[in-house]
Amino acid sequence: MSSLSLSSSQIQQLASQGCTAADWENISVHPSTDLSRIRNVNFTGNVAIGANNGATDVDGVELPCGMYNATIANCIIGNNVRIANIGSAISNYHIGDDVLIEDVASLTAGTDASFGNGVELDVVNEGGGRGTLLFNNLSAQTAYLQALLRHDEQFTKNLFSLIKKKIVAAKTTNGIVESRSRIAHCGSIHNVNVMSHASIHGALFLENGTVLSCNEHPTEIGEGVHAKSFVLAEGARVDGGAMLDKVYVGQGAKIGKQYSAENSLFFANCEGFHGEAVSLFAGPYTVTHHKSTLLIAGLFSFYNAGSGSNQSNHMYKLGPVHQGIFERGCKTGSFSYVLLESRVGAFSVVIGKHFTNMNVPNLPFSYIHEEGGESKIIPGMNLFSVGTVRDGEKWPKRDNRKAADKRDLIIFDVFSPYTVEKMRRGRNELLALSESVPKEKTFVNYGGLQLNRLLLRKGAKYYTMAISRYLNDKVCLRLRESLAQSKNWKDAAAKLGSKKLLMQPKSWTDLAGLLAANERVASLVACVRNGDISSYDQVVQALERIQGAYCDDEWEYVCEAFAEEYTIEPSAMTKEHALKAIEAWKNAAVSLHSMILEDSKREFGDFAKIGFGLDQAEENIQRDFDAVRGTIETNSVVQKLTNEGKAIEQRFVEFKKLVEESAE
Amino acid sequence: MTRDEVSQQVKKITARELNLNADNIKESDQFAVELGADSLKSIELVAAFEEEFNLSVNEEEALKVQSIGGAIDFFTKLLNK
Repeated sequence: MSSLSLSSSQIQQLASQGCTAADWENISVHPSTDLSRIRNVNFTGNVAIGANNGATDVDGVELPCGMYNATIANCIIGNNVRIANIGSAISNYHIGDDVLIEDVASLTAGTDASFGNGVELDVVNEGGGRGTLLFNNLSAQTAYLQALLRHDEQFTKNLFSLIKKKIVAAKTTNGIVESRSRIAHCGSIHNVNVMSHASIHGALFLENGTVLSCNEHPTEIGEGVHAKSFVLAEGARVDGGAMLDKVYVGQGAKIGKQYSAENSLFFANCEGFHGEAVSLFAGPYTVTHHKSTLLIAGLFSFYNAGSGSNQSNHMYKLGPVHQGIFERGCKTGSFSYVLLESRVGAFSVVIGKHFTNMNVPNLPFSYIHEEGGESKIIPGMNLFSVGTVRDGEKWPKRDNRKAADKRDLIIFDVFSPYTVEKMRRGRNELLALSESVPKEKTFVNYGGLQLNRLLLRKGAKYYTMAISRYLNDKVCLRLRESLAQSKNWKDAAAKLGSKKLLMQPKSWTDLAGLLAANERVASLVACVRNGDISSYDQVVQALERIQGAYCDDEWEYVCEAFAEEYTIEPSAMTKEHALKAIEAWKNAAVSLHSMILEDSKREFGDFAKIGFGLDQAEENIQRDFDAVRGTIETNSVVQKLTNEGKAIEQRFVEFKKLVEESAE
Repeated sequence: MTRDEVSQQVKKITARELNLNADNIKESDQFAVELGADSLKSIELVAAFEEEFNLSVNEEEALKVQSIGGAIDFFTKLLNK
């Protein structure tokens, strides 16, 4: 920015407009700066002022750029900035073009500020030990690597070192308010960087933080927010009197309605309203909307908390040291309680209060409920809940992130090597138990929960159906692609072979949203440990490669699991085998789909009509219900499911024809 | 098995699983509305019927059964196939 020292006439003009300066020689202006737009301003230290001929919208009124009623100390101010009515001072900031700062108590930065970067958050375990560094480039995956791999001391040490280097490289000795951001009607703001297009309005107190923001997805801080030591990612929105202390809010995430959080991470598309979070690692799509909900000392993702959901991490012995793992896709019902330590399997639903430590990762898609004070589990029941289907479809559609760089790497699949392999393990455990448990026994203890003996085979049956649907579906789809390229059966089948990309294709993990073969993660960890990865950016690139390899790695899993389930590798299948696979897929898909359809129809059963047609004649109950809820015939979800049922049949016919018509 | 025999068994199992008195269970009783069998209990009931009658049912068909009378007909048909 070209800038000129003030002439004596210019100094006189400013003085006549109520301006003062500790030393006018330290004040410079752009050649086109309109000095009449600088009134009642006290300058301290070095201040450079940009052009100010434009105007900006303030609360619906167009007002001139310039500086009015403010103290400005050691600042560089861009073009077309409006600064007005500052309570104490704006100090040590570089302010970009087209910025509004109006009616703000103070905006100050120290020369050694870190703007939230480098603050350590005690996530997952409130007692510490999983300290995770907050910084601008944090992602769900790099937070997971920091917090959850503490068994590998050298890796953790090196990773922290790479992160600290990244933080130091980005450090500045002044605060930044980037172009086109707006800060209005706020209290004190200290050591906070505000990136481009961000909007801060009505915040009470902000200290030691960074508001990442961009043109594609502006970030917003609204009324009554009190935040200390924080980083908000692009497109985040924090408002409604939220109170944050040592918190990361990810891209497209929303925190508001008096939510309070400390030592917590909220990644992409999380939503937190009304409740409280402590030492929470909220992976992507963790949502809690209602009052009295406390999420504490746990790892969650794709999670939905009912009102009053609560966990306890404290047994009045060694303090709050207990932690919980809710694998992806879990839900906890209203006023549910889970005693930590506990580990709940993926896509499970917890209803009621549980005073036992549960450890059931190998029983995903389960219902965990309370009956007479006992904690019970129904394995696999959530496989045919219409809610699970709806969740799986809605997450990708509700990805709010608009920033070009999507920090959190997400694999959305509900059925994946991660969940299917757990079902295989769970099924085998259930079958083994069913062989060994005597008939006289009504319940068996499984992972701290009571499991009705009758449900051992039932759960195994549900899992078998889901495994069969997944594996045969994947093989049939790959076969279809292959036959589209070559009508010759042997050539097509040969393309179904494993590329032997993985040594242990059945071992998978979920890095807070990123499903990954364990050995790929182990390889990344080894590279960081031995120094082959020497920058944080390289860690991110390695994670992106893991995401990129998902489809190929998934196929490696399918080949291995298919061979174990059906004693033949996909590439060795004859046409007869393939026809059997198609048949098996269809049978499993039709069964599960029919059960889901039946589940959706329950929403139209007699129970659902309770409270409808209030004090009306009998015939008006159905009419009222139909008017409010619609009918089975018109409901969009039921219609969609019905059409999907028809599509299964159609796909079956097409697959079969394709195989039968291929040349031997 | 005759329909009457199946009826006795269905009522006995239902009473046991739902903590009810078998004598008070009527064929017209709906599992969900009159007998209080929610979706969780329904699964346990189906499993109990399967064990008692020593057969494996088609899940989606079984879950469509709404009443005691419906269950009696369903299992009578299956057992006499």
